[in-house]
Amino acid sequence: MSPKSLKRSLFPALAGLLLAAAVQAQVAVRILSPEAGQPVFGSTDVRVGVQAGVPIDRVEVFVNGKLAGTCKQPPYHVQVDVGEENVKREFKAVAYTPTGGSGADSVLTQPVTINDQMDLKLRALFVSVTRDGLRALNLGKDDFEVRDNGVPQEVVTFGRDELPLTAVLLLDTSESMSKRQEAVRRGAKAFLDGMKSSDEAMMALFSDRLLRFTPFTSDKKALETAIASTQAAGGTAVNDFLYMSLKLLDARQGQRVVVLFSDGSDVHSVLPASDVLWKSRAGQALVYWIQLGGKHESFTSSFRDFKANDKEYEELEKTVKESGGRVLTIERLEDLEDAFRNVLKELREQYAVGYYPNNAKGDGKWHKLDVRVKGGGRARTREGYADY
Amino acid sequence: MRVRAEAMFVGGPVAWLAVAVWLSAGLAAWAQPVPGTQGGAGALGLRAREKVPPAKIQEIYRKVLADWSAGETERAPNELIELESAVVLDADAATRKVLLKEEQAVIHQVGAADLEVLVPIAVLHHEAYRRLLERGFHGHALAMIHTRTMARDLAILYHDQSGSEGASLVSSRLLTSLGGLLQQSAQQLPAAEMFQQAVELDSKNVAALLGLATIFEKNAQTESAVKHLRRVLEVEPGNVEGRLRLAMNLRRQPDHGPEAAKLLTDLTAVTEPSWAMPLAFQELGRLYSDEGKTAEAEKVLRQGLKRYPNDLRLHVQLAAVLDRRGAPGEATALVEKALTLPMGEEASARFLYNTVRQDAFAAARTFLAENSRSRLPVLAQALGAPPPAAGTGVGK
Repeated sequence: MSPKSLKRSLFPALAGLLLAAAVQAQVAVRILSPEAGQPVFGSTDVRVGVQAGVPIDRVEVFVNGKLAGTCKQPPYHVQVDVGEENVKREFKAVAYTPTGGSGADSVLTQPVTINDQMDLKLRALFVSVTRDGLRALNLGKDDFEVRDNGVPQEVVTFGRDELPLTAVLLLDTSESMSKRQEAVRRGAKAFLDGMKSSDEAMMALFSDRLLRFTPFTSDKKALETAIASTQAAGGTAVNDFLYMSLKLLDARQGQRVVVLFSDGSDVHSVLPASDVLWKSRAGQALVYWIQLGGKHESFTSSFRDFKANDKEYEELEKTVKESGGRVLTIERLEDLEDAFRNVLKELREQYAVGYYPNNAKGDGKWHKLDVRVKGGGRARTREGYADY
Repeated sequence: MRVRAEAMFVGGPVAWLAVAVWLSAGLAAWAQPVPGTQGGAGALGLRAREKVPPAKIQEIYRKVLADWSAGETERAPNELIELESAVVLDADAATRKVLLKEEQAVIHQVGAADLEVLVPIAVLHHEAYRRLLERGFHGHALAMIHTRTMARDLAILYHDQSGSEGASLVSSRLLTSLGGLLQQSAQQLPAAEMFQQAVELDSKNVAALLGLATIFEKNAQTESAVKHLRRVLEVEPGNVEGRLRLAMNLRRQPDHGPEAAKLLTDLTAVTEPSWAMPLAFQELGRLYSDEGKTAEAEKVLRQGLKRYPNDLRLHVQLAAVLDRRGAPGEATALVEKALTLPMGEEASARFLYNTVRQDAFAAARTFLAENSRSRLPVLAQALGAPPPAAGTGVGK
């Protein structure tokens, strides 16, 4: 057989093979969410992107090898409850054509490593976005632009309501709060009731001294008991115990937050508010401050005069705002439960936007952050950080 | 004895301003029951707003004094409260004049025999005032002011009439104790006046000087505070609280940092146990931190922790310094260790520093009680009442 005849005789078979390969190659599948390496808990929206030159019959989604759902129409996505277990999970998506062609993609998500060494270089920003006064909850990673000292950054991790929460409930239990104890207990309980099983909290009740605290735990009963069994006494030392809380959160992972309830009239701290501000700038935790009454009244003490105390108050407010948290002012004790609930809701609705700063120097200098949302909207996050 | 009516019970303009304030506050609650009763009559059978005839007031007042002189230390002050609260109405300032006139008449009678009777009578009014404060005074503000003013004016009168050094000491301590009670109930201005008068009677009265200095300190009048604290240290050079407060007030003045640092450094070497000692380390550490001398701050805080290993604040403070000095790991370990310390039971040194500690007036009160007790037989004799049983005491 001459080479030419060989070519001829092989052609139909080769052409068939090439056609089949072309059809297969046309089904390009990519899992858009969740992202590889991210922790995933609870209800998860698995979004699949499919590009094909032929119609797609269906997309099947598998979690750890088990069929979790099928979608027949674009946009292809399947809602899956993966549970609260902190484990690795394999997500796989397979798209099929009516003729039997298919394409697939898979990603491996990772558990949250608690108490382990964290990657200090990754900066996690928690961003609240509002559009027309309402929270925007359907944004994707590509909707965000992050600038660090004006330098654009690549967003490498992204999610919302996915990271477990690590909270310190820092409750002023000074003598002046003794009649408010029950309301504080109810408020804190409202927060605890909203916690997921993967979340953890530490309860710290303070006055001029630490009256009681719990370790970080998901055991809501233990946390509630701590408040119920604590008697209000003494003065107020917000700075000292806020610093302690921020320091303890340094070693934790997840979405870290301090929820402080106090009038903020710090009489007894040894640390100035500037130390707390410094600590907050060097860390990644958010600080929320729930205040009763709201209007700061100047006061003098044996440690500081009116002016110095006013400055302390202003710096505490600055700490809260710079951290990306908020000062929530309530007029009545009855509103305390809602205030705690609102803090939790806001945390749940924040986008976790992570990036590796491409301009980090570790020189302790201030980095101003600017997060923008494409298509408009107001993004609120921490104002910056000290580069340590 | 010649009782100077013009000196007694008149008070200065500030006192009458205070009366006016109290009056307006008391008007809303003027119908309160007599303190110590269940809304009805007390041991004397008096009711609030009861019209007590002048002769009856004198009779009851004499009975109260007789009970006091007989060592009825629980009953007599309560009876006095019942009498004065029944007669003096917040809504009618004139009622105080009625009571004053009748009590004054009795004091004229018993004081004529022996000036020394003024001491136990003053202490009785002091004790009644202390109890009124302890129980709350809603609706009886004017009666409170009356009995406090009686105590003060009797003390001053005793000093003026006696002229002895012993009388100065007794009177000064009574005013000091009253000042402490006023300070405790957040009445800074009357407290300052009381301490000032105490110091005028006895320039070496350390408790009064410290009381006055703390009021100046709290009101950001550091120069006056420093002046009085220097006087404390002239009398008692080793007074730990005086040295600490002087350092703290000097720190708040420009250009006095080195003197403050020296005072605090010297204090950290003191071995005498005192609630104030951990503060010396904390404040010296703070001073160094504020000046950017973090190495010195670290050194002094480590020394402090060695001396006071259970002091939570020294842990936190050292952690903050170490954080800044680039040792976040040790800082975290310190904060975690702080959580293992005994907690919540005792007020912190910082709280005590900013609070009116009644133990600061304990010595003055013991001195008063002893002086009152020793004069009870004289009072009993002046009243024609039986002398007190042996072993009875007065005052707290």
